[in-house]
Amino acid sequence: MIEALSNNHLFGILLTVGLFYGGMALRNHFRKNWINPLLISVFVIVLLLKLAQIPYEQYMQGAGIIHDFLGPVTVVLALPLYRQRRLLVKYKLAIISGIVSGVLASLVSVLLLGRVFGLNNMLERSLLPHSITTPIGIAVSNDISGMEGITVVSIILTGLIGASVAGVFFRLLRITHPVARGLALGTSAHAIGTSKAIELGETEGAVSSLSIGVAAITTVVLVAVMQMAGWY
Amino acid sequence: MKIFRQLAIILSINFAGELLSKGLSLPLPGSIVGMLILLVLLLTGVVKEVHIAETANFFLEKMPFFFIPAGVSVMVAYQFIDGHLAAVIGTIVLSTLFVIVVSALVSQVIIKKKNND
Repeated sequence: MIEALSNNHLFGILLTVGLFYGGMALRNHFRKNWINPLLISVFVIVLLLKLAQIPYEQYMQGAGIIHDFLGPVTVVLALPLYRQRRLLVKYKLAIISGIVSGVLASLVSVLLLGRVFGLNNMLERSLLPHSITTPIGIAVSNDISGMEGITVVSIILTGLIGASVAGVFFRLLRITHPVARGLALGTSAHAIGTSKAIELGETEGAVSSLSIGVAAITTVVLVAVMQMAGWY
Repeated sequence: MKIFRQLAIILSINFAGELLSKGLSLPLPGSIVGMLILLVLLLTGVVKEVHIAETANFFLEKMPFFFIPAGVSVMVAYQFIDGHLAAVIGTIVLSTLFVIVVSALVSQVIIKKKNND
């Protein structure tokens, strides 16, 4: 009976579209930014598939078509980068140094903490791109044989954590410059951090949106170097 | 009409990126090569923002929708997290705090130093 419903291309597509719409409706109704339609959709779909004992492959018959659009979604990330190019030129030294050191901090800390906490190699690879924007994080994770599901969930968690605690650290460390604030939010917490940065101010938002792209490209390049050096 | 023309441009760039990445065995994923190609085309004025604007904005604004299937694959990966959940969350939290502190301090120190010169 369930098989007749789930073993159909439209099942995965309808489930994904319907739940994302529901998540967006919830967020708009309660007007709360921390209500994350992506996280809600993923949670409810996993729960439904588990309860009804529907295999992931059956869901992906249809949902795979949505997954295939990650390519064009990644390509258009060039646009916000292009829109903020003047800001990048104006603060090039501070922005490039801040982002490269932030990305290094992310990669090195995952590897070190992984050793300390005894994470296995597969988990370490999946968590490595946790600070960057999801479509590029997925590409990096697949490239180094991580598990994209773990990567996506870790990226959302990172965004929610970064956006909620950054303000505390800005006060503690006396980070007052709008460029430094925006840069830290975009580098650590990608798009979720950027929505927080936009609340802080126009410059913060613009720098944060620029940092998403630069941090992602820097991560891709550094991971490629790590691969060529034979570490991965 | 316009939407399809814009989508065709974006998909062609994506396709070119995939072909280049595979053909030249680049160490970068094809979608990212595509992103760099689009950036170069925008900077050189070969592609203008109006050529892709509406379709690109739709993808940018509704981006999280396209991550749902990848996120759902956590159900086939959960067995690998089982028993390591605290370690995974600990790594994510501490690493995120570290990135905020390092990137904020480095950029602010450089900006302030430049202003004093």
